[in-house]
Amino acid sequence: MALKDVIANERRYAFMLCNEAIARGAFESNVKVVAFYPGAPTSEVLDTFSDALGAFDYQMEIATNEKVALEVCAGASFAGLRSLTAMKSVGTNVASDTLFVLGYTGVKGGLVVVMADDPHAHSSQSEQDGRFFAPNSYIPMLEPSTPQEAKEMVKKAFEISERHRVPVIIRTVTRVNHQSGIVRLEDINMKEFKKVKWRELKEEFKTLGEVARQKKLRMLERAERLAEEFEGSEFNILKDAGSDVGVVTSSVSYLYVLEALKILKLDSKVKLLKLGTTYPLPKNLIRNFIKGLKKVIVVEELSPYLEKEVYAIAKDANPSVEIFGKYSKIFSEAWEYNPSIVVKGIASAIGMTYPDYNAIVEDAKKLKGMVPDRYPTFCAGCPHRATFVALNQALKAQAVKGKEHFFSNDIGCYSMWIFPPISHSDSSLCMGASVGVANGLSHAIEERPVAVVGDSTFYHATIPAIINAIHNGNKFTLIVLDNSVTAMTGQQSNPSTEFTAGWRQGKKVSMEGICRGIGVEFVEIVDSYDVKNNVEIFRRALEFDGLSVVISRRECALYGDRNKRRRGEPIIPFYVDKNICKRPYMCLRTFYCPAYEIDEDRQPRISPDICDGCSVCSKLCPFSAIKRTEVR
Amino acid sequence: MGFNIFICGVGGQGLVLLTRVMGNACVKGGKKAITGEMYGLSQRSGTVFVHMRIGEDAFSPLIPYGEADIIVALEAIEALRYVEYLKKGGIVLMNSRIMHPPTEASKIILEKGSKYITLEEIVSKLREWTPNIAVVDALGLAREAGNVNTENTVFLGCLSALVAFPVEESHIRESISEVVPKKTIEQNLKAFDLGKKSAYDSLCKLVACRMG
Repeated sequence: MALKDVIANERRYAFMLCNEAIARGAFESNVKVVAFYPGAPTSEVLDTFSDALGAFDYQMEIATNEKVALEVCAGASFAGLRSLTAMKSVGTNVASDTLFVLGYTGVKGGLVVVMADDPHAHSSQSEQDGRFFAPNSYIPMLEPSTPQEAKEMVKKAFEISERHRVPVIIRTVTRVNHQSGIVRLEDINMKEFKKVKWRELKEEFKTLGEVARQKKLRMLERAERLAEEFEGSEFNILKDAGSDVGVVTSSVSYLYVLEALKILKLDSKVKLLKLGTTYPLPKNLIRNFIKGLKKVIVVEELSPYLEKEVYAIAKDANPSVEIFGKYSKIFSEAWEYNPSIVVKGIASAIGMTYPDYNAIVEDAKKLKGMVPDRYPTFCAGCPHRATFVALNQALKAQAVKGKEHFFSNDIGCYSMWIFPPISHSDSSLCMGASVGVANGLSHAIEERPVAVVGDSTFYHATIPAIINAIHNGNKFTLIVLDNSVTAMTGQQSNPSTEFTAGWRQGKKVSMEGICRGIGVEFVEIVDSYDVKNNVEIFRRALEFDGLSVVISRRECALYGDRNKRRRGEPIIPFYVDKNICKRPYMCLRTFYCPAYEIDEDRQPRISPDICDGCSVCSKLCPFSAIKRTEVR
Repeated sequence: MGFNIFICGVGGQGLVLLTRVMGNACVKGGKKAITGEMYGLSQRSGTVFVHMRIGEDAFSPLIPYGEADIIVALEAIEALRYVEYLKKGGIVLMNSRIMHPPTEASKIILEKGSKYITLEEIVSKLREWTPNIAVVDALGLAREAGNVNTENTVFLGCLSALVAFPVEESHIRESISEVVPKKTIEQNLKAFDLGKKSAYDSLCKLVACRMG
């Protein structure tokens, strides 16, 4: 969004989202290859690189999944080029097979992996704490608190990566990625992109058996060298105070601690250690910090990662120090923190009074009884809504015949089917799991398993599960909701789009071709908006004696609107003809479109500012009361 | 002392752009600014909010409960949803526009006698928290400015009238010209002026405003 600031070769200050500052740091470091699979809260890193492709000379891929993205970066790094990838917490699970091995093989060109955890599961299926990947893979990890620090860390990470020949993880959390702040711009350092000659570089990047055993020893030595280096890192901030109480913290929690100390008027009255290098940890620094303290408070979200280390170090350094954190129950391992939680934690550890935030929240609650929930829902014009209307009709018709089903949902916009007022899904796990689970269910239950995935998820993680189904003769129905883009993360291109990163021409990969090639005998392609015809096709798919695949195809409404605006096409809204409407509320009961309201006469009304003109509701109205606005 | 603004609304109303304009203006004035932004998912129509904090002593990207100087609600229901962030006696600057979520409509057709939440009900509840509530017909003013998508800039105009708002108007105006799409600069500047003018009729009767 502030692309101008991200690419400006100027030394000044700019207001920037952290995800943009990460890209800026890479441009100040001559990054040459970047690859991503989108995922909140990192998607704007991808978007920024995609938008900046015209400005600088680098290669970019929106890869099929996080593992491929990391491997693209590894390939570039082996050839000595600097590369960067960013992924959400659970994306790291997909990439981890490769990540662990890169700890052994090492790299050549700087390789930076931005890994964004999502405490509170704002936009994820779990609250996973990815910090444990670092010690587990012996890969160094830096944790920024602000956009400015994230940019500095990206630059430093490239340098560390090349000096120690190892990838570097920059671990963020949602409140860091989606934080904007003032960032100091320094010189852009982007050079011309040139291929290198492998014959001049040639070295080995492999590990297995005896080689792995030898590499493990070198990996341990490397970790010791890194630990020593990190003892003096500028990213570890020590604020001394003549006090026998200290706080150890990192990441966004550091900012909450600063806020809390201000609120509690303890600004210069407690010692503070903010850790930026969280693997390997600067153990001497921590040791010296806790020596002489009576109390140490550890403030970190999710698992007691730092706290455990503080306990281990205190055992020798200061056995009598009282340690406050998750084990002492002043902080929780669940959910993200905020200033109020940290104020309360620090105050209760010290034994002082603090503002009564619970009272504020309770007072507010009393006023909010009438506030309606606003769950995320399908946009006006969303093709998924139309697909589900048809699918639900087909499923209901089957149920009347005594044929029930299991609904196996997946990760994408269609996940929202689990929210009210629809609340329909028997399972929803992680990328691609709907198809794997359907394989198992086909053995285990009498009912028909129905799995649903989007286009991006199809390419990301479902193809092995489809092959598995054909090979083993597993019988279920798979619905692929093909809306041309990775919609949920902001409409990025994917193999179902005719474009690649930066909206450059790419080749569409045919999902029906893949299915037929694998050997799926029932493959039907339907227009999502054609609800009436689709009911019959879904019925046949549900009754098919084998794996049936229905591809429901229609571009994402937001993406479609963008294309329409580009082509200068108008979006013509529909309206309810009040004289015809008999208020059976079919539109409201089955459709849940955000463009619908109820007017003073309790008749449905379509908000022309929101209606996308998709026409689907007009085709479902039993009285044909929904009409397209006349264009004057 | 810092100035804390809690901005909320419905996905698609341009909260992020509004934040950008303010942040960029802060840079021009040499002011520190930090935000905590929650986009939700990429859909339209979900609840969205931004914690915007201006000042040297604003450390956390999230405003502590009860410490926002002002709630700027681009949609009326959302003002009440996040009232715990507002100081008791703080300012509510809210749109008169209500965007009813689909769940509310389903409830109405199922339960006879149930009806939509109204602006009057929202305002009367908010009054239990603060007397300083200004309601703006932002959609109307945005239409008048020639672009219904400039509701966000209307609010920026209102904010600029406030003595307590620590950003200079000239910086905001420059920032609008730099941040919004080129074709809409004129419309946005007009929306800004209309917003500011409207503030003198409502907001400024409640709290101190700049001479304008």
